Amino acid sequence: MLPVNEDSSRWVYRWAMLVTLLTFPLIWLGGLVTTHDAGMAVPDWPGTFGYNLFLYPWSAWLYGPFDLFVEHGHRLLASLVGLLAICLCVVAYRNEKRTWVRNVCFLFLAAIISQGVLGGARVLLDARTAAMIHGCTGPLVFALGSFILMACSSDWRRATQDGSRIPVSRGLLRFSYLLVLMSIVQLFVGAQLRHAQPTWLPPFFTSIVHTHLLMATLITLSIFGICVLVRTDHNRRVMELRLPSNMLLIVVLAQVALGLATWVANYATPWVELTPWLANYTLQGKGFWESMIVTGHQATGSLLIVFSLWMVCRVATRTKKAEKAQPMINDTTIHQEKATELVAVGSTV
Amino acid sequence: MFFDIHHRFPRFLQASLWLFSTALGMVLCGCNSEKIEFRSNQLHAASISMDLTPPDIRQLADRAKGATEQLLGTADLPTWPASVLPPIDMEKVVRSSGPVGRDQSKVERGLFRKHCVQCHGISGDGRGPSAALLAPYPRDFRRGSFKFKSTPIGKKPTHSDIVRTLEQGLPGTAMPAFGTLSDSKEFVDDVDALAHYVRFLAIRGEVERRLLVALSEQEVDESTSLAILTRVANDWLAADSHSVQRPEWVANPSEDGRMESVANGKALFESEWTACVKCHGVDGSGNGTSQDFDDWTKDWTIRAGIDPAHKSEWKSMKKYGALKPVIDRPRNLKLGALRGGTSRGDIYLRLVLGIEGSPMLPVAKKENGNPGLTEEDIRDLVEYVHFLSENTRNISLSQEVQHASSE
Ligand code: HEC
Ligand code: HEM
Repeated sequence: MLPVNEDSSRWVYRWAMLVTLLTFPLIWLGGLVTTHDAGMAVPDWPGTFGYNLFLYPWSAWLYGPFDLFVEHGHRLLASLVGLLAICLCVVAYRNEKRTWVRNVCFLFLAAIISQGVLGGARVLLDARTAAMIHGCTGPLVFALGSFILMACSSDWRRATQDGSRIPVSRGLLRFSYLLVLMSIVQLFVGAQLRHAQPTWLPPFFTSIVHTHLLMATLITLSIFGICVLVRTDHNRRVMELRLPSNMLLIVVLAQVALGLATWVANYATPWVELTPWLANYTLQGKGFWESMIVTGHQATGSLLIVFSLWMVCRVATRTKKAEKAQPMINDTTIHQEKATELVAVGSTV
Repeated sequence: MFFDIHHRFPRFLQASLWLFSTALGMVLCGCNSEKIEFRSNQLHAASISMDLTPPDIRQLADRAKGATEQLLGTADLPTWPASVLPPIDMEKVVRSSGPVGRDQSKVERGLFRKHCVQCHGISGDGRGPSAALLAPYPRDFRRGSFKFKSTPIGKKPTHSDIVRTLEQGLPGTAMPAFGTLSDSKEFVDDVDALAHYVRFLAIRGEVERRLLVALSEQEVDESTSLAILTRVANDWLAADSHSVQRPEWVANPSEDGRMESVANGKALFESEWTACVKCHGVDGSGNGTSQDFDDWTKDWTIRAGIDPAHKSEWKSMKKYGALKPVIDRPRNLKLGALRGGTSRGDIYLRLVLGIEGSPMLPVAKKENGNPGLTEEDIRDLVEYVHFLSENTRNISLSQEVQHASSE
């Protein structure tokens, strides 16, 4: 239909893919920073022990203590993601026809920068609250990046441009929105557990644990509900809904398992005498596998947000209202010229 | 318009933009007000003076905390008065205290807050944020009482007793082992520094308790509080001299000889004389008839005239930080998870020394004409406990992973 426009958007898609794929390990590294309480392993910012961030000696970084390795690594990868996000904005500015997608790219860059500034504030003020907020917003930034990816995907284009599509029930849409919201709330609740202030009283912490468990139940049930909904009524014929719902199911099951493992890895179980294995299990303080489980739980939590957002995208682009999308595509023909140029350049390279 | 398509998404995006700005705002205005102080010992104040009103109890606890602070400093900067001989290395204590992080020379500070505070609490009161969810509860150091050590009941543990617990952890509980960390050289130093800090918190807690008692009777001047500190410090200085050597023990090489010993030990275990079965049950699974609370619980319940088995009675202490009283279950010896160590030498120490603060008392030894168990009997008993508990090994996740990958 509009082959040139399609191609121009593909570069945005590729860049968004690159940035998003790198943001996920960044979430892991950030999570490791929290797990190892390494937030202050490097006391200065934006430099590292007086060096410019990029000039800090490799050997001191790689062979130094683990907390320093993780914290400096997190900073390096974050800077890389920041630089790539600038590239994404440039590419989007020149290639993307939809104004709002370009705006989202700029918002993404702004979010990454504020995330960095927040990280810096955490170090300079030595404020654990800042670390907690940084930990909450990190996955939101990741979700924003993957949203760009979704908006530039061929599925999005197909769904919004194809007039003959089967409308999806609004119930499913509401359910998916609710899921995004709940996963975000769950992330915030989880961050309280990971960033508990040493002076909190036990009853407060206990109530947060209970909230986290309650939310986990609600989220799991909602995902079951979504899996059923995509297989009922006319939703059944929209095969594109199957993949995100299946992924959600896999991720939530993994997340619940990781959550239980996280509890054991952090606090053992209160039912010591249940089996000899539990009775004899000795936790390892900051042990490698323990850290991986705990950090994995946190990282999979942000994956859950991303996948539920994916579900929203696939559903929202297929409900009735999405039809308004049609005229907007033509609106952007102004950029077509520029885009044609770029694609020409792109294909010669 | 900023977003002209898909009106629902823009709203989501605006929300996230809003979130970022509030987050940044919150950080800039509020969060360096995270002041971290030792917590006063209200529970002890309440249990020694039940007739006071809640505000008076809090005030008494605060005064004791203030007097302790004069002597031993704050959570960010512990100090030690020059006139008292310190049983601990204050340089290591200071390194373990305060907020987590490295300084420009890469020396790490705040070890306690990094590794321990989540469970043991800022003042070592065993009331860290996660405490209520753990079974058993994390240890409250402030009574100066420790369970797994090489010294008799009533004596302080040695430095290496505490290092042992930090290195090996306590199986089946939330207390981790810190012995197998990857960058080990630094970690050996860290564990050592932490053991000093644990002893500091124990001293601080005990001084605070004694000051509480003193203050509930009269005003306390500086020389009195220094005298209290000196007495507590001397107990800790004397710890090494009370330490009982863990016997080097080679198991009887002949299977028959060993089993004979086990049979003997079994008979002793089941005899009325040792009363082991009263608590540990006939089969050693911990389900004997005698089930009691530990001293940490009795301290604020039975000693204050409160029945720990009735919620209507102990409920009134919740507002001072009391957690639900829980029975100190006699260990299920068949599960293997011995917290004081699984070797015969370790078990020997447990039997001859008992477990301080728990219902488990030392066995009566036959000496100076008193009736009791001979050295030979005790060794047979040890052999039996070892036999009961040997069926399982201590497990850690890394070992499991290694095990799985080597198969
Ligand atoms: C009054 C009750 C009581 C009696 C009598 C008693 N125990 Fe215990 N025992 C306990 C309790 C309670 C514990 C758990 C203590 C704790 O860790 O808090 C324990 C723990 C133990 C342990 C585990 C130590 C560790 O390292 O984890 C061993 C071994 C043991 N008892 C052996 C014996 C033997 C042998 C006898 C008889 C000589 C005996 N006990 C008599 C109550 C008792
Ligand atoms: C795209 C940019 C970034 C993302 C997505 C991101 C993400 C994260 C995440 C997910 C966490 C873990 C939070 C938790 O476990 O709850 C974290 C922790 C952390 N990040 Fe980042 N981060 C980014 C950039 C930065 C930058 C530039 C810095 C600069 C210093 C930084 C400093 C930190 C620190 C200090 C922590 C540890 C907080 C603590 O002490 O627990 N981050 N980050």
